[in-house]
Amino acid sequence: MTRKRFVTLTLVPAIGLLATLALVSIAGAVWFAVMNRTLRSPDYDFVGAYNFLRLLRDRRFFNALEISAIWEAVTVAGTLALAVFLAVLIFETVKKPLYRNLICFAFLVPVLLPRVAAAFIWRFLYSPSLGVLNYLCGLVGIGPVEFLADPSLALISVAAVDIWQWGLFFSVILLKLLETLPRDPIEAAMLDNARTWEIHAFVTLPMLRGPLISLALVKAVESLRSFDLIFVMTGGGPGTATETLDLYAYQMGINMGGRISYASAMSLLLLVVTTVAFTIIWKAGKKWAS
Amino acid sequence: MANISCNDIVKSYGAHPVIEGLDLDIPDHEFVVFLGPSGCGKSTMLRMIAGLEEVTGGRIAIGGTDVTDLPPGERGVAMVFQSYALYPHMSVADNITFGLRRQGASRSEIAPRLKQVAELLGLEKFLDRKPKNLSGGQQQRVAMARAMIKTPQVFLFDEPLSNLDAKLREKLRTEIRKIHMQLKTTTIFVTHDQLEAMTIADRIVLMRDGRIEQMGTPDEIYERPATRFVADFIGTPAMNFVSADIAAGDRLIAHGEGMTLELSRSAFPDLAPGQRVELGLRPARMELCTPDTSNAITGRVVLVENMGAEGQVITEVAGREVSFVTQSFRDLSPGDPVSFTISPDHIHVFDSSTGHSLRRN
Repeated sequence: MTRKRFVTLTLVPAIGLLATLALVSIAGAVWFAVMNRTLRSPDYDFVGAYNFLRLLRDRRFFNALEISAIWEAVTVAGTLALAVFLAVLIFETVKKPLYRNLICFAFLVPVLLPRVAAAFIWRFLYSPSLGVLNYLCGLVGIGPVEFLADPSLALISVAAVDIWQWGLFFSVILLKLLETLPRDPIEAAMLDNARTWEIHAFVTLPMLRGPLISLALVKAVESLRSFDLIFVMTGGGPGTATETLDLYAYQMGINMGGRISYASAMSLLLLVVTTVAFTIIWKAGKKWAS
Repeated sequence: MANISCNDIVKSYGAHPVIEGLDLDIPDHEFVVFLGPSGCGKSTMLRMIAGLEEVTGGRIAIGGTDVTDLPPGERGVAMVFQSYALYPHMSVADNITFGLRRQGASRSEIAPRLKQVAELLGLEKFLDRKPKNLSGGQQQRVAMARAMIKTPQVFLFDEPLSNLDAKLREKLRTEIRKIHMQLKTTTIFVTHDQLEAMTIADRIVLMRDGRIEQMGTPDEIYERPATRFVADFIGTPAMNFVSADIAAGDRLIAHGEGMTLELSRSAFPDLAPGQRVELGLRPARMELCTPDTSNAITGRVVLVENMGAEGQVITEVAGREVSFVTQSFRDLSPGDPVSFTISPDHIHVFDSSTGHSLRRN
């Protein structure tokens, strides 16, 4: 058997399965999006682009789009910032391999938690009456703070949980990457009068630019799928303060409206927007990393 | 510019000592080479002077200032690494000026200095390139420019030429030497290549197992090795060693392993009849002769190695191999009987148990 045939034969089943799963659901969504189906009645008609045109006049949709964008930016930037900070801190202060490994192990625990479990844990921590955080706030004379009920705080509070889960995990990855860097350029920078933070800002982190971009992309994709976390913690509220696109689609299509066609149109738009956005970011990132 | 003094330096990793009580003084302007086999502590010593490695005990002073507890950046030293250690993501110009920028030097101050070192090392054309687009020799020049632009008190070179091919190594060696003659900055150069050490050094510090075996000019090290180890380490082809006994009589004669050699009485006045010694015979100090010449060694040719201008002849003398170097090697072929001689002034004598040279003047 030639190499080419072997590669084809082994790849075709898996790619076929994945393609079927993706295409069938997308085709289904397109089918729904051009109808006016609701969960309440079995009748439906072909309505063409009506659902899409309606979306463009839906202020709640644009609110959800904005919340989604903020959510992406805050969680990706926050995760990377926390990861970089902790990785450098551990790299510089904890020199014993045993302690380093213990810290890494501890940092891996949050990301191993199911999202829903993490969400429940933090709902308790954030609770105005029972939560540890408000107890601590009380000690310094603030509060009680309505972390999840205050519209100006809710999104950040939920994002903090996401950053807690992924930032600690990424800091372990980043620490291991720092450990693999050659020692010589770091020592050269020490001789070049660079302070510790300058060594990392100007030498080690730029040397890790490629991996950092990859981590950012992974996190950006992952952040798109935070439905479960937000759903358990706030359900999109208070009001629509934490309602991202997927939450709004769920509310529209399944929870209250049952307007399945409208929700499908929204999902398709989300698919197009993210595909275009990620293609641009990916291209830019690759150019920047080279 | 400054002198360097190391006082009772101790370095150990855990309970394992690498350097034990090393004292060293390097005068201003001198070009010193740390030479020794791998694992002798020469690089560790250099890294301790640079501040990249902490000393376990002892003090280091540069230019009269105790720098033992100063961070590397504040010691006024610049170092060139074996791996060049360039910042891979920065252009050549940024690599060279990184240190000055960290010191907060202004743009107008940096530009002329960059121009100057780039000219000196022939890097003007490459300033915008990334290190990965340069050859090994060019990268090494960038590393040197990065060290030079800071006008340090001391240059440290950690085996800077060992990643280059032989021809380039020779060229850069000459360049480094020329630059030193121009700048006169105190320099320490670490290498395991004895030829490199001999050609480049004002003084060689020959190290072994964390101690200084001998310190001296290349001539002193070559002509008057203090120990058998030094004699063996320096010089290509390597020295022949012969066990011998001192004979009784008016003249100072040593017998051993099929040879009878007269030694210099003035150089070795303490040798007593019956004393067991080890003779060191440099191949390069021997020459073909007739069998009846004094100090003639007679044997049979085993192999002739052509080195161009001269050849190394490996012979068998009383069951052991002795080699010598001659220009008329082309007349010899394996199996031929051959005689060669060495002047008493060029024979080294070492104590057969301690390995110390028994030369007295």
